[in-house]
Amino acid sequence: MKATRTTRHSLHGLDPALDRRAALKLFMTGVAATLASCGRPPEEVVPYVQMPERETPGLPLLFASALPLAGYGRGVIVTSVEGRPIKIEGNPRHPASLGSTDVYGEATVLSLYDPDRSKAPYSDNRTQSWSAFEAALRPRLDRHRAKQGEGLAVLTGRITSPSMLAQFESLKRSMPQMKRYRYEPIDDDAIRNGTKLAFGRLATALPRFTDARIVLTLDADPIGAGPEQIRYARQIADARRAQVPTNSLRLYSAEPDWSLTGALADHRVALRPELIRNLAIEVARGLGAPLEQATLPDEIRRFAAAATADIQARRGAALVMAGPRQPAEVHALCHWIDAQLQAPVDFIASVDPDAKSHNESLRTFVSDVRGGHVETLIILDANPLYNAPGSLGVGEAIRAVPFRAHFGGFRDETARHCTWHLPLTHALEHWSDIRAFDGTASIIQPLILPLYDSRDPHQILAMLEAEARSPTLDIIRNQWKSAVSEKGLADWWRQTLHDGVVANSAFEKISLPTAGLPSLAPVTAAEGFTLALASDPAVFDGGMANNAWLQECPKPFTSQVWGNALHVAESDARALGVRDGDVLQLRHGEATLEMPALISKGQAAGVLSTTLGYGRTDAGTIGTGIGVDVYPWRNADSPWLIDHVTITRAGHRAELLQTQHFFDLEGEAEQLQPRLTLADLVGGKFQVERPGGNPPTLYPPSHDDTYKWAMSIDASACIGCNACVVACQAENNIPVVGPDEIAMGRDMHWMRIDHYVVDARPGFSPTPCMHCEHAPCEPVCPVAASIHDSEGLNVQVYNRCVGTRFCESNCPYKVRRFNFAGYADGQEYGNLGEDIAKAVFNPNVSVRGRGVMEKCTYCVQRISVARRAAEREGRVIREGEVVTACQAACPTQAIHFGDMSDPHSRINALRADPRSYSLLGELGTRPRTTYLARLQNPNPDYGKART
Amino acid sequence: MPVAAAELDARLGTKDFHSRLTGGVSTPGIGRGLAAVRACMPHLFRPVADTAARSVLVAIVVVPLLAIGLAYWVSASEHVTGEEITLDQPVPFSHAHHVGGLGLDCRYCHTGVETSPVAGIPPTHTCMTCHSQLYTQTAMLAPIRKSLAEGHPIHWNKVNRLPAYVYFDHSIHVAKGIGCTTCHGDVANMPLMRQAAPLTMGWCLDCHRNPAAKMRPVSEVFDPHWKFPDDQAERGVILAHQYLDNKHLTDCSICHR
Repeated sequence: MKATRTTRHSLHGLDPALDRRAALKLFMTGVAATLASCGRPPEEVVPYVQMPERETPGLPLLFASALPLAGYGRGVIVTSVEGRPIKIEGNPRHPASLGSTDVYGEATVLSLYDPDRSKAPYSDNRTQSWSAFEAALRPRLDRHRAKQGEGLAVLTGRITSPSMLAQFESLKRSMPQMKRYRYEPIDDDAIRNGTKLAFGRLATALPRFTDARIVLTLDADPIGAGPEQIRYARQIADARRAQVPTNSLRLYSAEPDWSLTGALADHRVALRPELIRNLAIEVARGLGAPLEQATLPDEIRRFAAAATADIQARRGAALVMAGPRQPAEVHALCHWIDAQLQAPVDFIASVDPDAKSHNESLRTFVSDVRGGHVETLIILDANPLYNAPGSLGVGEAIRAVPFRAHFGGFRDETARHCTWHLPLTHALEHWSDIRAFDGTASIIQPLILPLYDSRDPHQILAMLEAEARSPTLDIIRNQWKSAVSEKGLADWWRQTLHDGVVANSAFEKISLPTAGLPSLAPVTAAEGFTLALASDPAVFDGGMANNAWLQECPKPFTSQVWGNALHVAESDARALGVRDGDVLQLRHGEATLEMPALISKGQAAGVLSTTLGYGRTDAGTIGTGIGVDVYPWRNADSPWLIDHVTITRAGHRAELLQTQHFFDLEGEAEQLQPRLTLADLVGGKFQVERPGGNPPTLYPPSHDDTYKWAMSIDASACIGCNACVVACQAENNIPVVGPDEIAMGRDMHWMRIDHYVVDARPGFSPTPCMHCEHAPCEPVCPVAASIHDSEGLNVQVYNRCVGTRFCESNCPYKVRRFNFAGYADGQEYGNLGEDIAKAVFNPNVSVRGRGVMEKCTYCVQRISVARRAAEREGRVIREGEVVTACQAACPTQAIHFGDMSDPHSRINALRADPRSYSLLGELGTRPRTTYLARLQNPNPDYGKART
Repeated sequence: MPVAAAELDARLGTKDFHSRLTGGVSTPGIGRGLAAVRACMPHLFRPVADTAARSVLVAIVVVPLLAIGLAYWVSASEHVTGEEITLDQPVPFSHAHHVGGLGLDCRYCHTGVETSPVAGIPPTHTCMTCHSQLYTQTAMLAPIRKSLAEGHPIHWNKVNRLPAYVYFDHSIHVAKGIGCTTCHGDVANMPLMRQAAPLTMGWCLDCHRNPAAKMRPVSEVFDPHWKFPDDQAERGVILAHQYLDNKHLTDCSICHR
């Protein structure tokens, strides 16, 4: 009140604080000051003191390296500009990359520059020095060494690095009583135990999908997130490319909830996880196994009959595989079936040399601690306090160890409960080596000096060994010395670093005894609900939860971001009266958990499913408190399936953050994503253009005297993995907006993956800007900020844009994104505005400010690089010279980009393909981005054959 | 002193008003009445009011034009473009001495100019190739020696500055016959470097619209003394035909991304 009265008072001029002259003087001073001060601030150029070898300022350098995921390596090529790694791409020479990447690889650069990274040793609630830690550790180590290592224990994740394993060997030699435990939350225990059951020894099965014509997956997701994803996705996509029905791979999939494999499959059934065993028995019986008949619903029986008939007909090219959630016996049975079928599967010795299962190892650890056998615990790059199964009591065990040192990239949950936390280097900061899941070794080379006072794992192990400290590079080189003669080492080393792969290091195939038929009795469906867990398609096991690109990466099927949800089958939801967003309370024995529900059509009734990796309490600014943590619910005996779960409605609702509905296109799914079968295609059923063709137009014709860029996206090959989405984000400086802005319907991804459900089958469609020749966004822009260039790109001129958003309203594809705030420039989410986080920016792309519209540019910066290179050399841009970020990332090579003006270019062949269609082509926008219709290869006899 | 109504009308321009009031018909009675009113009323406007009104009318047109002109002049002025302003540098490096006097090639120091978007400022080591032998004790070069000894780079003040949203590429320009001095001016006679061109978008576009006017043979690109010949118009067209593959140099995406 008082303030108001004062304001009115002075407004009426009763008590003028300023007289007219003084006000005018001040005004003119302001004007003069403004005029005088509008020069730009001075800038500096800072050259090197000595230019590094091969460096040319302004030009990127590429280095081959490898990045770990769950302990296995994926080969990468890292782009570095002036010493800053800014982009990850695949290494074509590496068998687990084949030139493509996945979301985790793409997002790694953001983690490198994460402001929350641990920066210094920490103990007693304060920052410490490494020497203080060594002083504390040394007397303990001496004591353990005197007792042959008794009382010393090391807990790690999966380790496949030959150098690190050799270091462990040598530690073991000097301290035979030292204990080593290893635990990886996304475990493969059942798979490994399956080979033990079937063959009597540990082995890894490597399916050759390229040689397969019929594949039956039993709750398996070979193309889902994981270290094998890229390779298997490429193989399956390649095997499905053949456009002759008998040569194209046909995929059968039975699973409790949706997986990427299930979405791609030609025939897919939903089945409770425990009944998968009955299906496997049914298939085995079809192949002559003397097993007891299992009860199965009719629909599943039809599926089993069709699949069995198909695989029998294609012996030698048929393959059956089970997933990590299925028990070892089902895996053993699959091995037996594969043996009967002479399936295209190779076996190698296990790349992870630890014979123990992950959960068994952890169990031993807990009992050793309880037995008082652990006095000094070294936790190396693992976070068991967050991701260990709740049933084991790992947290209490760790806290019971008197001296516990955690080495990790972040001060995470485990670090908080350790007496010491020591920062580890990032994979882009150190020398190391790593094996891929098939055994292929790569050298990891540092792209940048450690940003903080951190050390790499090799140095830690060397510290434990108390050996004279040699640089990590020497440790790695010494390890590989034996691979070549002394004389050739220098050349070998250079070549290996260049290739990113150690030549001929893949594990050799082993021959195994014929798989025995396991004794396997059918089961009856369990009572009540079963909770099926899975790794998360965005944050995997939760270790990368503090990565904002991954948190904001829309999950396949649900487009959910910033959190996980409990997927409930449609029939169960109807029975319980549950709607999307209703919070459900889960109960299993004593344990309870509250999670928001998300209805999942096509999920098996009686199955609840969700993903791991959320609910972190100490992930950092970005990841802490996002989603619900399900790890405590895991049981070491059955880590993936929790049965006898009851659910009740908690009575309140939670907001689910999903992105797809923001950009729903108008139209029927059948028209937006036409589907056809191979039989249709052979019969010539599919029409190239929609009826009506291109309507008349007043737009000027496009230029014919230069390149004409165009993109073709194969909807058959898209598996919905999101690699392109994150690759685009990394390449084009696309900011994250954060959960609050997402809740308001805002999102900045230039590339999105739409999913359309036709006949209850989802299909994915990557949707970048269509670069319409007759772009509806252009005539409505009052300032010509949305405009065509001569090469057919619909460009957005950020500096002209005044933010009317008319273009966004007029875009039928909804691909334009508006900076409602300075998401990248001044109003960043969380701590992404800190200086170090800006190091991730690509210097060849503008960082857009507030109030500006933006969208896919077809990676115009890459086109420009190629154009300038071609023009300098006086030639035209070659076919395949411009590769967009999304195209480079795609594991299945679903995206192709090229020049339409070259009559022999592949893009013209793709656009002339009978499957080619334009999205909303009837609008006459003449998009330069076209699609190849989703192709399926169903069994024509499905449902006819009876057993 | 009474004035004739018609005269007043002419002077004040009220004739039209008057006749519009009366529908164009002259009614002497009303006219007389008005004259009587005029006779007894003081003048509303002095004669100078006419001049003032005309001046205002002219000003309405001229002042905005002048303002726009002034704005253009200011925006193109050296105050805004930074043109012809010589900045202080940590070491007073003289292009006049090194290029004009000694005849060093541009590429000896600016090594990236043929391959990279940026020409590059030489590392301290490049300076020391000569100055480890020559003028090793001069005070002027102390910062160079200090930089080498301590491993700290020299912070030069940037002379030619472009906005962050412009992606200029040196390599393509020198490959297409745009000489260094065309944009950087008579470097061989600059004791201290200064910005020789306005570097405005209009200035860029002048050339992108008509590159032939500024092209020279590629062999002459690095010649600091090269002058445009009298028949540049004809020669330029030939060179443009010879070098230029891109006919769309004014596309937004050529410079902005």
